[in-house]
Amino acid sequence: MAWQIPLTELTIGEDDVAAVVQCLEEGWLTMGPRVDEFEQGVAAFCGTPHGAAVNCGTAALHLACRALGLGPGDEVIVPALTFVASVNAPRYVGATPVLCDTASPTDMNLSVESVEPQITDRTRAVIAVHFCGYPADVVGLRELCDSRGIMLIEDAAQGIGAVVSEDGRKAGSVGQAGCLSFFSKKQLFVGEGGMVLTSDEEIDKKVRLLRSHGMSASTWDRHRGYGYSYDVVDVGYNFRLDEPRAALGLSRLGKLQTGIEARRRTVKLYRELLADVPGVELTWSDEQVERSSHFAFPILLDDAEACDAVRTGLADRGIQTTRYPVIHGFSEYRRLAPMGSLPFSETAAARHCALPLSASTIETEVEQVVEAVKSVASTLAGARP
Amino acid sequence: MPATGTFPEIPLFDLRLAPEDIEAGAETLRSGWLTLGPRTQAFEEAFAAQLGARHAVAVSSCTAALHLAYLAAGVGPGDEVIVPSFTMAATASAVLYCGGTPVFADILGRHDLSIDPAKVEARIGPKTKAVCVVHFAGYPGKIAELRDLCDRHGLALIEDVAHAPSATVDGRKLGTWGMAGAFSFFSNKILSSGEGGLLATDDDAVAELARSLRSQAMTSGTWSRHTGATSTYDVVGLGFNYRIDEMHSALLLSRLARLEADIERRRELTRTYRRELGRIDGLIVPYRDEEVEYSSCYVFPVLVEDKDRWEHVRDFLRNERGIQTSLFYPAVHRFSAYVERRGEQSLPHTELASETELTIPMFPHMTAEQQERVVTAFEEALA
Repeated sequence: MAWQIPLTELTIGEDDVAAVVQCLEEGWLTMGPRVDEFEQGVAAFCGTPHGAAVNCGTAALHLACRALGLGPGDEVIVPALTFVASVNAPRYVGATPVLCDTASPTDMNLSVESVEPQITDRTRAVIAVHFCGYPADVVGLRELCDSRGIMLIEDAAQGIGAVVSEDGRKAGSVGQAGCLSFFSKKQLFVGEGGMVLTSDEEIDKKVRLLRSHGMSASTWDRHRGYGYSYDVVDVGYNFRLDEPRAALGLSRLGKLQTGIEARRRTVKLYRELLADVPGVELTWSDEQVERSSHFAFPILLDDAEACDAVRTGLADRGIQTTRYPVIHGFSEYRRLAPMGSLPFSETAAARHCALPLSASTIETEVEQVVEAVKSVASTLAGARP
Repeated sequence: MPATGTFPEIPLFDLRLAPEDIEAGAETLRSGWLTLGPRTQAFEEAFAAQLGARHAVAVSSCTAALHLAYLAAGVGPGDEVIVPSFTMAATASAVLYCGGTPVFADILGRHDLSIDPAKVEARIGPKTKAVCVVHFAGYPGKIAELRDLCDRHGLALIEDVAHAPSATVDGRKLGTWGMAGAFSFFSNKILSSGEGGLLATDDDAVAELARSLRSQAMTSGTWSRHTGATSTYDVVGLGFNYRIDEMHSALLLSRLARLEADIERRRELTRTYRRELGRIDGLIVPYRDEEVEYSSCYVFPVLVEDKDRWEHVRDFLRNERGIQTSLFYPAVHRFSAYVERRGEQSLPHTELASETELTIPMFPHMTAEQQERVVTAFEEALA
């Protein structure tokens, strides 16, 4: 079916197309000068000295776990409400994910208060997710982690450009490592791609080594005559980003901040129009809206049933929505926590519904979506005693 | 010269995309749909049809395809997989990703650089779960013998077909002989798109597992939610993000149409090289003339008879004649990361090959004059 208003829409300009076409015409496709430039550009945008491009956000999290030396026996605290990759990453290195509740049903991020009781002798790291683009309190979490001698990884897959501190620091720049995703629905997209941000040169070196098979010289280096052979000094992977995607990313990077601002305007309009709708609860605060980079716009409905009704009602009107299931609701992760043990995450997961949001969303679309939500919500209210 | 970082006059490979390939990539960008979708499906169907396999699952790299193939073979902690050491490290490291142990078997020798079935058989033990054959440089490994050996011992045969798309044995394409075949679309490959890979199989269960694990073991993908087929999903295993994207699939689909012609051109270049280089004393040209038509002729490997002269030949070509060469491959069992895990091992044929091999320039638009320069450089270097 063709959605009248899809969840996200990518608008790729002719200048973006031209940047990729030029790269394809030149014919050098594996990691080279464009990847270098893209890394420098993104790292500068996020305010970190280093950024190592990889082929997806999952790979970024995996390599962050490897570079921080996590392994078997280590516990890693992760939110119960996130995309599944945040929970898979510790397992790739043999560590154990421990699910943690979110701050509240309307603040769907980890907080100092939610994390602290989960820390045990075996805890080595916390993965804080900037869910839907809203900044988690990573400054507070970093202080907590430092005081307990553990590490902080920021999963900024949804949060590129979110402001995490009073002094304007960006998501991904506070933890020992920050992980970005450039998946096709993200604020900065290349199709599939990711990056590990860090201020620690050793972490950066390790990520660069492991993303290309632990090899001591790259194809590009050898093409230019640096080194004839190579050693494999660690067990690495093929997590390379290639040049066409870096070309697209570079071209899009110049439009990232404008795109985030456009998303914020859309979110503010949604919030204004939905503020007093019975049965609809807004998430996060106005202040956090100012700091968010707005990957998605979730609202809370009264309960799971209302949530389903709204999603169905909107789908009938050609409006696509989505929701994130809670991690321990998945077959693979039921064993991590019993249902009922992480109430805020479970409530948020059951009751939220993310409405269409893109950099190109226009006012009339927002109005159309809001009308649809209102219409379903009022029918629900009427059906109740 | 290495310190100056200059580009070679005759590079090892020189990828040139056709205008229609580039247009296919541009069209995909304009469509605004970049993640797994209709273009990937079309590429997979076309690739499977051309290969003669039931299933083709496109992924982010050949390494990813190997990882999924080993997982599908049931490789886990405590299991062993017999692999060549004369290969790119991924053949072995993908075994480690599964928690298994790569056990290295030697190659046949400097005239045939593929894994020796007798050496494979000698390494089979109670923990062996699978065998991986690499069809080196595009030339078929001893696939029939290995298939028979694996069948007799109840082992999964995995084909690392990174070098050998469209190569055949008895009219049957490589990558369809084992339980699964892993292909590469890395930028220096015959069918290239930058990064990319593919798992081919006739086994429905293997294909299903690969499709599931390439996208986080989610029961539905972004495309099926976009098309309204599904609205939510479950996660039913420990998956990965091994997805290829639509732009790469579009490039590959466009280029697939010219794969056979590209290989035919490589065969011509290969025959010329064989004729000219075969006359030079001190140089071993592996494989036989009759094998060329069954090979995909991905690269042209030669071996310097006397290992003490290898460095001189390599330096002369690069520094005096501007000809780029590469070593395919340093022996995996001698890499620090593997010595740490497995200790020192002896694989004499692999070691000698890895100390004397030179892969020389070959690409479809290579001119007769360029080939002649390469040949002359060898004559001079070994005079």
